[in-house]
Amino acid sequence: MTVTRLLAVSVLALAATAATAADIAVIGGKTDDPFWAKIKKGLEDAAMAIERDGGSVTYLQLQTYDNLGPDAAQLVRTAISQGVDGIVVPNWVPEAEDDAIRAAIDAGITVMLMNAGNIDKARELGAINYVGNDEYQAGLAAGRYFGDQGVMNVICVNTVPGAANLEARCQGVADGLAEKGGTAEQLPLPATSFGDPTAVAEAIKSTLLGNEEIRGLITISAGDADSAAIGIQQAGKTGEVMLGSFDFNEAGLQRIQAGQQGFAVDQQPYLQGFLATSLLNAYIEFGNNLPVAPIATGPGIVDSSNIEATLAGVAKGAR
Amino acid sequence: MTDRTAAASPALARRSAGRAFSPGSHLRRPEAGALLGLLAVTLFFLVFGGTGFLQPAGVASWLNVAASLGIVAIPVGLLMIAGELDISIGAMIPAGSMTVAIIAGHGDQSIWLAIAAALALGVVVGWINGTLVNVTGVPSLIVTMGTLFAMQGVVLGLSVLFTGTVSVALPPEESGPVAKFLFGQFIGGAFQVVIVWWILLTALYVFYVHFSPWGNWIFAMGGDRESARNAGIPTRRMMVLLYILSATSAAFVGLCQAILFNSAQVSAGMSYIFNAIIAVVVGGVLLTGGFGSVIGIVFGTLTFAIVNQGIYFTDFDRNWSSLIIGVMLLAAVLMNNVFRRMALNYSPKRT
Amino acid sequence: MTAAAPLIELRHISKSFGPIDVLQDISLKVHAGEVLCLLGDNGAGKSTLIKILSGVHRPSAGEILLDGRPVAFASPKDAQTCGIATVHQFGGTFPLMSIGRSFFVGVEPTKGWGPFRVFDRKRANTIAVQAVRDFGITRIDDGDRLVGGLSGGERQSLAIARAVHFGARVLILDEPTAALGVKQAAHVLRIINEAKRRGLAVIFITHQVTHAMAVGDHFAVLIRGAIAADFRKGERTREEITDLMAGGEIMAHIEAAIEGAHADT
Repeated sequence: MTVTRLLAVSVLALAATAATAADIAVIGGKTDDPFWAKIKKGLEDAAMAIERDGGSVTYLQLQTYDNLGPDAAQLVRTAISQGVDGIVVPNWVPEAEDDAIRAAIDAGITVMLMNAGNIDKARELGAINYVGNDEYQAGLAAGRYFGDQGVMNVICVNTVPGAANLEARCQGVADGLAEKGGTAEQLPLPATSFGDPTAVAEAIKSTLLGNEEIRGLITISAGDADSAAIGIQQAGKTGEVMLGSFDFNEAGLQRIQAGQQGFAVDQQPYLQGFLATSLLNAYIEFGNNLPVAPIATGPGIVDSSNIEATLAGVAKGAR
Repeated sequence: MTDRTAAASPALARRSAGRAFSPGSHLRRPEAGALLGLLAVTLFFLVFGGTGFLQPAGVASWLNVAASLGIVAIPVGLLMIAGELDISIGAMIPAGSMTVAIIAGHGDQSIWLAIAAALALGVVVGWINGTLVNVTGVPSLIVTMGTLFAMQGVVLGLSVLFTGTVSVALPPEESGPVAKFLFGQFIGGAFQVVIVWWILLTALYVFYVHFSPWGNWIFAMGGDRESARNAGIPTRRMMVLLYILSATSAAFVGLCQAILFNSAQVSAGMSYIFNAIIAVVVGGVLLTGGFGSVIGIVFGTLTFAIVNQGIYFTDFDRNWSSLIIGVMLLAAVLMNNVFRRMALNYSPKRT
Repeated sequence: MTAAAPLIELRHISKSFGPIDVLQDISLKVHAGEVLCLLGDNGAGKSTLIKILSGVHRPSAGEILLDGRPVAFASPKDAQTCGIATVHQFGGTFPLMSIGRSFFVGVEPTKGWGPFRVFDRKRANTIAVQAVRDFGITRIDDGDRLVGGLSGGERQSLAIARAVHFGARVLILDEPTAALGVKQAAHVLRIINEAKRRGLAVIFITHQVTHAMAVGDHFAVLIRGAIAADFRKGERTREEITDLMAGGEIMAHIEAAIEGAHADT
C-alpha cells in the first residue's frame, strides 16, 4: 500500500513541480489507531481540494510508537528528501524532533505543528501555527464537567502510565475538579494489563469496591471505557459512578445514547487533519494566514445533549 | 554455576533418599514449583491485602483474568513443550473479536455465523503457521512474528474497508441471549462464563496430554524431534494441529471478549503474547521444550492473574505494580529451575 | 552358521550427492549373532552408510538384502518395520521424559477404547524396566525416573533394550561409546555382547579400536568411502588395525608430515 502510495506521490510530485502547486507531507500515527484514522480522514478530505489544484498530500505514518521521537524525526527527514513544500508534524518529543523540524524550515519548507506541541514551540521553531488540542486543557474540561455534575470524587484510569500526554490529561482532570471543590486521583495500571479488557475491567472493579467514595471515573482511551463500563457494572455501581472517557468509539457513543456513560472528551481529530493540511496549503499556495493562534480543535464534550449529531458524524467516519 | 549445582546436591541427595514416600515424587513433577509459587503469592497478598481477594468479588477479579489468559496459555504451552513458539496469538485475539463484531455487529448477520467465521479464521491461520514452520524450517518465533504482523494488517485493512473504523460495537441485542449466555454472561453476577470454558478445556487438555497416548508425542517432539519422527510419530501433522489449537483458542478468547464487552478494537491483545509466555514458564514448562504439564500451566496462569490483580487489594502505590509483578514472576521461575534440577538429578541411592 | 544367508547384506552399494561420491562399491555381510565393527576416521563415510541402512538415504547403486531378499527402504519407518534399529551416540532418547514414556514413544500401550484410550503407565513402566534389567542393568528399577537422570551408559542400554524389545533384528550402533568413560563404555560393550547372544546382527560403528576388538567378530575399515580392509577376528593385530584406519599405506606420508609440523593427536 505504502509503495503504491509513494509511487503515486512521486508521480504527483513530478507533475506538481511543473504546476508549482503545493506538495504536503503529513506525519502521523498508525492507521490502526482509531484516533489517527480520523485525522487521516480529515487530511484526505483536505487533499481533495489540494489535488484538484495539482498539489499532493502524503501521509507518512509511524510503524510503532516504541521510539516515537526519533522515528518522527526520521519521517521529517524523509519528507525533506522528497522535496515537499510543506510538512504537517506532531511535535511529540521536542528534544528528538526539533532539529529535524529546523532543518526542514532551513530547507525552505513551511511547517505546521499538529496534534502535539503548542504555539510557543511553533513560534520558537518558525512553524506557522499549531493546530490541535492541549491535553491538559482537555483534562481540565473533563474535571470541570464532573464538578458541574456534582461528581466530586473521581479516578483517572491510566493504562499507559508514564506517557506525558496521558499524565497531563489526568493532571488536568485533577486540577479542573479541584476548581469545583472535588478531588481526582490517577489509577495507573501495569503494562501487563494493556489490551486485556478483562484485566482492566477487574482492576476498576476492585478499585471501586475498595473505595466506596468514588463517584466518577474517566479512562484515557475509548477502548478502556468499554472495559470500565463492565468494571463499574461488576462492582454494582452502574448509575452511581459516572463514566467519562477521553476520545470515544462506537460502543461509547451507544452508551452515552443509552445513558450508561456520562460524557466523552473529544479533541475532534478530524478537524486537526483537515484544518492543519488545508491551512498549510492555503498559506503556501495563496499566502492566506489565519490570525488565530493556536488553533484549538478541542476539547469538545460529547454527552446526551449532542449525541445525535455526533453519531451522524461517526457514520461518515469523521468522528 | 558449577559451584551452585555442587552445593545443591547434598540437599537433593537427602531428598531423593526418601523416594519411597510420595511427597518426594510430587516435588519432582513439573507443576511442583508452580504450585508453591501460587501458594506463595496467595500468602503474600493475604498478608499485604487482607482476605478481600479471597472473597467472591475478589476471586472473580483474578479468576476472570486467569480464564481468558488460561485458554490461550495452555495451547501456547503445549507448543512450547513441543519445542515451538506462537506469538501470533497477539493478533488472533483481536482477529477473533473483530470478526465477530464486524459480521454480527456491523453486518447484522447471525451471531452463529460470526462465531463460526472467527473460529474458522483461527483454523486457517493455525494451519498456515504450522505448515510454514514445517516447510520452511525457519524458527517458529520468526514465522509467527510474520503472521502476527500480517494478521494485524489483515484485520486493520478489512476493518477499515468494511466499517471505516477500527473499533466496532457489538450491542447485546446483536449477540442475542443464547450467545450472550454461552460466551458473555457473568455467572452469579461476577464470574465470566469464560471460566467454565477454561475448566472444560483444561479437563480435556489434561486428559489428552497426560493420559492419552497422544500427549506422549508432544513431549517426545520437544525432547528430540528427529527421534520422535523416527519412532513413527507424525510430527508434522501434530505440529499443524498444535498451531491450529493455539490460533483457534486465541480467536475464541477474542470472540468471547467481543460478546462480553459489547465492543472490539483492532489494537487489543498484544499483552497476551508476553502474559501467556509468562504463565507457561511460571507454570514449569521448559522454554526449550520437552518438559511441562497442563496443570502447571493452570497454576502459572493463576499465579500471574493473582499477582496482576492482587495489587488492587493492597495499599501499595500503584506506580510500583509492574515492579512487583516482575519480581514475583522471576522468583516463581527461579523456583521452577530448582525443582527441575531436582527431577533430573534424582536417582535412588542404594549403594 | 555361515551356511545360512546373512541376516543383512550390502552388495556393491555406492552413494553420491551430486558430483561427490561418498561411498563406492561397499559390500558387507552380517549374520545373526554376529558383531560387525565398522571402523573409520571422521569423514570416511560412516554416517552416510548408517543413513542408507536406516532408510534415511537411498543408495545410488547396489542393493540391500535382508535374509537374502533384496529390500528398498522408503523411509526410516520402513527400515524399522523390517527390524533395523539405529541407536545414536546420545541414545536418541528424551532426557526430560520418564523411562516408561520414552520407551514407548510412538507405540504407547493403552487401555480403554476410542477417544478415551488412556496411556497405560503402569504397564509401560513395568515392561520398560524389565526390558532394561534383562540386559543386566539392575540399577534401573523405577519407570517414572527421567531419562536425563540416567548415566550415559544406562541411556545407551535403555535405547538398545528398547530397539530389541520392539523386534529389532539388526542393531546399528552409531558411536555408542564415544562420549563415555571407561566404566560406562564397558557397560555398553556388555550390552552389545548380550544382544549378540540373543541372535541379533549388530553393526557397531566406532573409531575406538579397543572397543571394537572387545566385541567384534568381523571388522571392516572404511577409508574415503571405500572398504580398505575386511577381516575376521584374530586376523589382524591392534596396531595393524590402527594403521589401517589412519590410512594404511599412506601412514608413512603422515608420519613424515608429523615430523615436520606439530602433531596434535
